[in-house]
Amino acid sequence: MSIEAIIIYSLALTLTLVSFILDKEKTLKGIKKGAKSFRKLLPTLIPLFLFVGILLAVITPAFISSLLGEESGLLGIILGLSIGSITFMPPFVAYPLGVELLESGGAYPQVAGFLVTVMSVGLVYFAAESKYFSKKAAIYRNAISFLGAILVILIVMVVY
Amino acid sequence: MKTIIKNNKFLFLSIFLLILISFIDLSLTYQALTNAGNQILSMLIIVPPIFLLIGLFDVWVPRETIIKLMGEHSGIQGMALAFLLGGFSAGPTIAAFPIAMIMLKKGAKYSNVLFFLMVWSSLKLPILFYQVTTIGLSLSVIINTAMVFIFILGAVIADKVFTKEEKQAFERKAQNIE
Repeated sequence: MSIEAIIIYSLALTLTLVSFILDKEKTLKGIKKGAKSFRKLLPTLIPLFLFVGILLAVITPAFISSLLGEESGLLGIILGLSIGSITFMPPFVAYPLGVELLESGGAYPQVAGFLVTVMSVGLVYFAAESKYFSKKAAIYRNAISFLGAILVILIVMVVY
Repeated sequence: MKTIIKNNKFLFLSIFLLILISFIDLSLTYQALTNAGNQILSMLIIVPPIFLLIGLFDVWVPRETIIKLMGEHSGIQGMALAFLLGGFSAGPTIAAFPIAMIMLKKGAKYSNVLFFLMVWSSLKLPILFYQVTTIGLSLSVIINTAMVFIFILGAVIADKVFTKEEKQAFERKAQNIE
């Protein structure tokens, strides 16, 4: 189990226990509410992860680093940002991949742009996000994160 | 039929792609299914306790409290709280959407909720150490400071970009979600 999982489970179980001691009925109501919104999200989640799984099978680290090399220039930056924006990876996968990309010849700005967008810009979530909030809200959040990635690339270009 | 496809576009697209890559290389199909299985498994591990917390939050925390802490007049304190909640996140961004909805339902300001979502997506405090040990200190510092800066800016500007009606529409959606 990851650190993340241990923290969240201890927190959830402790609070549930405290809640149960304080008020049994309220706790059961809360659990029911939580389960309900989980069941609502699940049908969206599973096909989405299937889709991401396929993407990640095709877009392998070797493939990505071949696109993001030292000579790839602006095109490499654009490709890094695009691949990052479409796919989603948890940080425990993304960071080691970033290292692997750098070691196999990826350039810093290209890889940095990929790393930022792969975590913060989630175009695969776009439909779900629009449904929860609105299309405008989904565009806005992704656009701000994308701008953040560009800022990171610019700083990395100056520093490295 | 059309609506079934429209509502399950990722499912149909995935099945189509799976068939397509099977013709190219069967090991790709196997890799894709393993990837998907692993991701779904790790999600099924991390997401249920989040929803348990959402449920408890809903029954225990009164609306007045959230309005005071993260509402229209919560100022910097509201943003700081959004930052902490987002930073101590676990799980994919999509798991943060229902959390954001419950915040809106309890009267949190939209720009604070948006800030929470953005922080959740890319600034994960519990694994800061992991981040530094993998991609290095300087790259971590650049990414984290640049993103905090742009997220604060994004949240402040959002307050002007979204009209009062749009913000009210978010809140109405949040009220009706259950």
